[in-house]
Amino acid sequence: MRDLFTSFKDNCGFGLLASIDNTPSHRNLEDAITSLSRMMHRGAVAADGKTGDGSGLLLSIPKKFFAKSAKKENITLPDVYAVAMVFSKNEKDFDVIKEVCENNDLKCIYTREVPVNQDALGEQALASLPTIKQVFVAPNSIMGAKRFDALVYLSRKEIEAKIPEDRNFYIPSFSTSVVSYKGLVMPTHIKEFYQDLRNKSFEISFCLFHQRFSTNTLPEWRLAQPFRAIAHNGEINSVTANRFNVAAKMEALKSDVFSDEEMKRLVPIIQSQMSDSASLDNFFEFLRINGMDFFKAARSILPAPWQNAPHMDAKLRAFYEYASTCFEPWDGPAAVSMTDGRYIGCVLDRNGLRPSKYIITTDNRLLISSEYGVLETPEDEILERGRLQSGEMMGVDLKYGKVLKNSDINDYLKNMDPYDKWLNDNMIYLQEHMDDPFSDVSIPEKTEMEARQRYFNITLEVIEQVFEPMVKEGKEATASMGDDSPLAAFSTKQRNFTDFFKQKFAQVTNPPIDPIREKVVMSLNTGFGEIRNILTDDAEHAKRLKTVSPILSLEKLELLKAFGNEKDPKYESGYKARTYETTFGSDLRMSLATLIEEIISDVKNEGIRTVILDDRALNAKTKVMPMLMVVGRLNQALLEAGERHLVSIIAATGEVYDSHMAACMLGFGVAGIYPHMLYQTVAMIEHRKDKDVNLAPILKKVRKSINAGLLKIMSKMGIATVSSYRNSKLFDVIGLSEEIVTECFSGAYGLLSGLGYEDIEERITKAHSDAYATETQNRIFPLNIGGFYKYLSGQEFHDYSPATVHAIHKLSKSGKKEDFAHLKELVDGRDKKFIRDFFALKSDKEAISVDKVEPLSEIFKRFSTAAMSLGSISPEAHECLAEAMNTIGGKSNSGEGGEDEVRFGTIKNSKIKQIASGRFGVTPEYLVSAEELQIKVAQGAKPGEGGQLPGHKVSPLIARLRHTMPGVTLISPPPHHDIYSIEDLAQLIFDLKQINPKAKIAVKLVSTAGVGTIAAGVAKAYADKIIISGADGGTGAAPIGSIKFAGNPWELGLIEAHNALKANNLRGQVEVETDGGLKTGLDVVKAAIFGAESYAFGTGALTVVGCKILRICHLNRCSVGIATQEEKLREHYEGTVERVINYFTLLAEDVREILASLGYSSLEEIIGKNDLLEVIDDAFAKKFSFENLLYKLDGDNTCQVESNEPYDKNEYEQEILAELMPAIKNPNDPIVLEKKISNLNRSFGTRISGEIAKYYGDKGLPEGTICLKLKGTTGQSLGAFLSPGVSIQVNGAGNDYIGKGMSGGRIIITSQKSGADFSLGGNTCLYGATGGKLYINGQVGERFGVRNSGAIAIVEGTGDHPCEYMTGGAVVILGKTGVNFGAGMTGGVAFVYDVEHEFVENINQELVEARRIDTEDTDIERYYLKKLLKDYYNETKSAQAKKILDNFRVEIRNFWVVRPKDMKGPLKIEEGE
Amino acid sequence: MLRFFDLERIDAKKRDVVERNKDFEEIYEVFKPVKGSEQSERCIQCGDPYCHNGCPLHNLIPHWLKATANNDLEFAFDLSNETSPFPEVMGRICPHDRLCEGACTLNDGHGAITIGSVETFVNEEGFKKGLKPKFSQNKIGKKVAIIGAGPAGLSAATFLLREGVDVEIFDKQNRAGGLLTYGIPGFKLDKHVVARRVKLLEEAGAVFHQNVEIGRDKTFDELSKDFDAVFVGVGAVAGRKSGLTGEDASNAYVAMEFLVDIQKKLFDEPREKNIEVKEKSVVVIGGGDTAMDCVRTSLREKAKSVKCLYRRDAHNMPGSRKEYINAKEEGVDFEFYVSPKSLVTNDKGEVIAVEMVKTKLGEADSSGRQRVEEIPGSEYRVEADVVIFALGFDNVNYPFFASNGIETDKWGGVLVDENYQTTQPGIYAGGDCHRGADLVVTAARDGRDAAKAMVKMLSK
Repeated sequence: MRDLFTSFKDNCGFGLLASIDNTPSHRNLEDAITSLSRMMHRGAVAADGKTGDGSGLLLSIPKKFFAKSAKKENITLPDVYAVAMVFSKNEKDFDVIKEVCENNDLKCIYTREVPVNQDALGEQALASLPTIKQVFVAPNSIMGAKRFDALVYLSRKEIEAKIPEDRNFYIPSFSTSVVSYKGLVMPTHIKEFYQDLRNKSFEISFCLFHQRFSTNTLPEWRLAQPFRAIAHNGEINSVTANRFNVAAKMEALKSDVFSDEEMKRLVPIIQSQMSDSASLDNFFEFLRINGMDFFKAARSILPAPWQNAPHMDAKLRAFYEYASTCFEPWDGPAAVSMTDGRYIGCVLDRNGLRPSKYIITTDNRLLISSEYGVLETPEDEILERGRLQSGEMMGVDLKYGKVLKNSDINDYLKNMDPYDKWLNDNMIYLQEHMDDPFSDVSIPEKTEMEARQRYFNITLEVIEQVFEPMVKEGKEATASMGDDSPLAAFSTKQRNFTDFFKQKFAQVTNPPIDPIREKVVMSLNTGFGEIRNILTDDAEHAKRLKTVSPILSLEKLELLKAFGNEKDPKYESGYKARTYETTFGSDLRMSLATLIEEIISDVKNEGIRTVILDDRALNAKTKVMPMLMVVGRLNQALLEAGERHLVSIIAATGEVYDSHMAACMLGFGVAGIYPHMLYQTVAMIEHRKDKDVNLAPILKKVRKSINAGLLKIMSKMGIATVSSYRNSKLFDVIGLSEEIVTECFSGAYGLLSGLGYEDIEERITKAHSDAYATETQNRIFPLNIGGFYKYLSGQEFHDYSPATVHAIHKLSKSGKKEDFAHLKELVDGRDKKFIRDFFALKSDKEAISVDKVEPLSEIFKRFSTAAMSLGSISPEAHECLAEAMNTIGGKSNSGEGGEDEVRFGTIKNSKIKQIASGRFGVTPEYLVSAEELQIKVAQGAKPGEGGQLPGHKVSPLIARLRHTMPGVTLISPPPHHDIYSIEDLAQLIFDLKQINPKAKIAVKLVSTAGVGTIAAGVAKAYADKIIISGADGGTGAAPIGSIKFAGNPWELGLIEAHNALKANNLRGQVEVETDGGLKTGLDVVKAAIFGAESYAFGTGALTVVGCKILRICHLNRCSVGIATQEEKLREHYEGTVERVINYFTLLAEDVREILASLGYSSLEEIIGKNDLLEVIDDAFAKKFSFENLLYKLDGDNTCQVESNEPYDKNEYEQEILAELMPAIKNPNDPIVLEKKISNLNRSFGTRISGEIAKYYGDKGLPEGTICLKLKGTTGQSLGAFLSPGVSIQVNGAGNDYIGKGMSGGRIIITSQKSGADFSLGGNTCLYGATGGKLYINGQVGERFGVRNSGAIAIVEGTGDHPCEYMTGGAVVILGKTGVNFGAGMTGGVAFVYDVEHEFVENINQELVEARRIDTEDTDIERYYLKKLLKDYYNETKSAQAKKILDNFRVEIRNFWVVRPKDMKGPLKIEEGE
Repeated sequence: MLRFFDLERIDAKKRDVVERNKDFEEIYEVFKPVKGSEQSERCIQCGDPYCHNGCPLHNLIPHWLKATANNDLEFAFDLSNETSPFPEVMGRICPHDRLCEGACTLNDGHGAITIGSVETFVNEEGFKKGLKPKFSQNKIGKKVAIIGAGPAGLSAATFLLREGVDVEIFDKQNRAGGLLTYGIPGFKLDKHVVARRVKLLEEAGAVFHQNVEIGRDKTFDELSKDFDAVFVGVGAVAGRKSGLTGEDASNAYVAMEFLVDIQKKLFDEPREKNIEVKEKSVVVIGGGDTAMDCVRTSLREKAKSVKCLYRRDAHNMPGSRKEYINAKEEGVDFEFYVSPKSLVTNDKGEVIAVEMVKTKLGEADSSGRQRVEEIPGSEYRVEADVVIFALGFDNVNYPFFASNGIETDKWGGVLVDENYQTTQPGIYAGGDCHRGADLVVTAARDGRDAAKAMVKMLSK
């Protein structure tokens, strides 16, 4: 775990600049540096104010400059040479370089010390500053340019291999075409640092530039970007899989460029210890150097989503499908700029999750960057202003001086080879060879079947909770109230092997995907067959057996066997199959090793290509090895043996019957799964109901549920395709021994090293003997009953057992100490169920008297209730918790969903206001009413997932608070659409600090390995508080698989975050809070010792007000009136303020007593003091390694500052606010200001709105009170949370997040260059807006109007996913839209102008429908639209609007009105639709 | 499920009070299928199934409620028989309002699920449809002797037979069933219901030896010699005396004497006491379920008047609330806050009245229950022709305990370990003879768990 304290993730600002005709100039360099420095806010700055996380430039070789400087040394550079840029701290490294080069027929011409000015560096950067030198190298004999490039590359790889351990040695670039100038320096100082860059003769024709934001504060010189060929903004979520797959692919390689012997010297291709971006760079560079086409390489590893894009050109789809036989996507948010000297380009990930904007200027230059306006190019010099859309690429052919747009590149790619023919001839779709899928499941005889069900832990509960919803609804069941059962490792009951595995999920540095609403990017497309040489192309490559899901039917399994059976006419040697039984008698360790050895030998010697692992031979005498263990071990062993690329692994297993289990298998390498126990059990149940049942439709539904579950698990980590998920190992393994993790699950993170092969075998043996015991055969009901999901007497432990619930009820009513003592007995005495139970308190001090301990009031300050929205719980419960917490001086949390403004300023005001991904009810007044603003990045119950409030729960009150209409279903997306990366989070924090400068900004994360890294990043993004939520907590409704299998206990996350913050010297900047099943004083004290300063209570607090852990929160039928909006049930609410106070008083008293017994007088003194804990002396405890929880670093243990002040003080707006104050004080005195603005002025209008909301609430000022006329390109978040009465008129352009959360007022953007061909706004505009108007006389980016619930907006074109999750307001689009229009749109209305008749294809038909409006029935719509357009025209003078208005009678025919299917009848404008 | 929201709790229908007082037939009607499944649908299926937890047998209540709601009778029948030896009996006589239904999460204003009635329904309907609990076909070749054919013994027999162990049951009464047959009146538990279970056990291979008392008709030694294990389930049937002057009067009885005597009369079996209450004034002292059985039996035996005297109030009565209500409906006269001081007898030694004193509730004791205090000077007299004491039961100290090394505690309860094994290896015990007078359901659990322990020991 210790390595986690210092690990990192990074995001950034990035871009490229190129002279399209490849003309070098010094101005190019200067402009690139200017562009980069104007995105500083996208990077991070260390405390010294100088050390950044790194920035850099990858430049075309400045031939003139290098020639000049060589001349000074009396050296004449040849025409052809390469330059190595070298970081080193050891002079001997250069000898190695020389030696290797010479061996490779290269000669080193001379070595140049790169002049640097150390004054430009911060302290930290200076401390690690290497010597920076350039080595000039030329061919030693006559060779072609391609060969020279190859030898340069080979030499670099060899040099790297020779100096592997030295982290100071690094070669930023070694190339004949580019040179890298990068380092731990801020963009503003890069020119000062690298003196070369000041030289006017330093002329370049193109460059990539990059500014890094690392989550840690231990940046390294070598990690600065660009790398050798790319600059990447984003995160490769599937990088573990990609790295594994690259290693596997290497085995099949034959290169035209390198000999086999040279190839051996090249490996590993992926440099270890580097970032995801560096790995991507390594692979891309490798492909290029081996002669793969620039665009083909780019699109093979970063493909557009083709699997579910029926409207894509068939030939282009064929290219992608062909490419997929060799390449899986490097999946995740990515804007990647890349160059090889000949071409330069930029590609955007399949879901458009990073911004990438371009301009082409009159002087024939292309600039691509994260933001508009970085160069302040005058409007009349802009020829084109646009942006890349999801999955698009653009580039420049530098040789021929031609810009290549997405369609040019696609045309080029699809015609390179006859891909469609190759596929037609060779690719085999299993479906085509099947007559009757799911006609057979071959159920074993009853007694055996029942024993197997017991063995595989298929209990009555599993049937009811897991199988039934699949059969009935075709989806995974929903549950609520979190997971209160022990980790598999600590359990004394039969548990599945996959229970040891906890799913990873995206938080902050990368976004999860919505697999339902953004299904268009998702795919489970699966292929079987060997991976061939990826460096060549021919028809053979297309040989694959294909299917659309890795979950196989028996028929498909048999087909795979048939294709692999020599005696079958379908046989092909590339699919040669063999089945391996995974049974064993005893000695699991040996049996596993033997089986693996056998398989490897068969693959090597007998040409086996399809390995089918089968556990169906289980019987009374033989046990089976855990399938996941076999799979993991085999996957690794095949790679080590160099055979992985040849083999497809299939698991025919009883161990898969939910999506988590399936995901585990895929994550560790299987290609296909035949879940026999699932099918057979379902068949058995259905047969009992109806002997003649047709199983096919039922089993298809079951498979569909598993598929949906898989998509959900993948999307949780932001992975879109199963091919990228396979081998990704995205799990934390908790409680298995290091040996098992290393041998079988390397690549996954092992925590709490514990049970070894012998322990697992012991558990298997017991499960086996229990399953086949004679007793069980005599039962009337043969299965075990369960108890894993719900409490059952004598079964799995649940911390909220009936006894505990009764105890909490009793003590909260009585307020008696003896009743609390009973709870303590139950909880503190539960014995080794949770991690904290394995620690006992010890003290270095004598006990003191309780009177000496800080008073209750001090302890109460640290208590809060966890976020539970009004909507999820009733107003009675919500207000009760607020009043109680305010009374004692703690805090209550509004949850997401707004709060009634009558509560603001009263005892019922929630001090914590939450901002979650739905942004429901997030208005200026809501935000200014808080003392703490909590950004919920993830929640314990379902990290990485969104939520849904079904329409029937949306009462008039809830609808009012959420600014929607009653009865409309409200969807919270999985990601915050304005946080796809760490710099985005920094931006949101900045927004919130503007609207409410007094509030502390908290960020809620969920415990997982790596959360420390995230926490450090969050601290660097200027959050004031970080919450580490336990996956064991979580009251919300969630899919049962997510409740059980995603995220870790809080103890692990807390200790990691606490230490990572310390390791990065950030702990003193932020407060740390935790939650997750805390109940007694001992829980609180232990949480403090592990490093938490404050503590939140969710389920516990609900239990105090009467919750009985019914786990039906999601059904609106809560019988105790808490999790329901039904009036009739709310009458049964019996919680009181007094009960809450009783509980927290007893709890705080308990804390005081424990503190006294330890000899400490305050919690502050024990926070992070983990020498107060020791592991209990217990035989079972000794199996586990707990020392990481007791690891201690020096440094602050608690927050030392009042506020974590952002670097950007926003003086610009502060000054404007001062000028506006008279108008705010006296709205009868309207004011108009004219100002210049640039992209550095972020969140403009927000500080002003915060000030207005403070006095006037959401009513704001009368319209027209403040008018701000701005010239220039604004920064991100223009007009975020804008208050009524403020009008912002921009002449120029805006960037991302315009009008985010706006509540009123107007934002108008016009430009000299306007209309449908020009982009004037960025991505995710109007996110969560509740009112106001936004007019943009141009195009905007992706996800326009996402989650809009009240704003009226008019634009002239949008990117993909427009109007996503919209619940209200009106959007008019006078031009083209991207795909997936109206996904998850449950309210509001959109008008789309569509002359080309293309629009209908772009609609996501799930919830909305488009209708014509030139009928009598649509009278209202027609005139409403006209009214809007008139207003729009008045404000913008849009030519398009004028054209339409002038011919309205004709043009109306070109409009569609889009509304949710549920909304019938004419538009109800007055009612807020 | 979750229909609690729109469906009321409905109890099983009772027969008209005038009609039902005329005979000893059960007063509750079994649910009709629609009703049974509707009432089951009210269940929340909660995350902490309090009913299951409140049930001493830990019956799979939510699970068979769901099956019932789904009209899957066979499944419900199987699930309910899995954990319980005679669910149709427990559905009738368990004090549900104190156990499962009392614990039911809906019992806080919504109305608990009618668990007992559904349980009865599931099994009666199941029997009607020909369903039967399953017993092992494969004998393991061991046999166990069971002393006492009451709830504990029958339960042990059930679970032994299910595991393929042979059982022989020795019982001193004429019919098997113990308390179920002789102690609980027919209007609560039809005697055919008990007989049906006994028959099922016989079909499964159980051998019943009725009218055999160990120590009298057969020695304990013979049992331990002939069998691989012995289970003692002899109950606690000694009626608790009041210790009042006059309690030995000829027409003063303890409850069990009275109930057994009447039941034997109904069976037409030889009786020991020949108690007649017809046209007499009956006074029953006590407030538990047994007291209710006595008063209601007296009514059906056509007593002139029936009075129940209890020293606390209705709210504090230890028995099941519905039994009190039934008794009241049927015409029993209750007097609360009164306590007997002595029995007044005539010169023939017959009771003619009970000397009573009024009481009130005083301070709470350590368990939180308020103590009863007598109110000085409030004495009065209640006329009575028959007085029945229903004050609880004590253990019977059978001589074979001591002579075979079976130790007891100070109250006479047989000591057992966590496996229900007595201090004598191979001899097991459970039910009232171990824990003192308790519920049928706890005896059933003891029998079940002891059987499981015996099987484990026997199959080693």
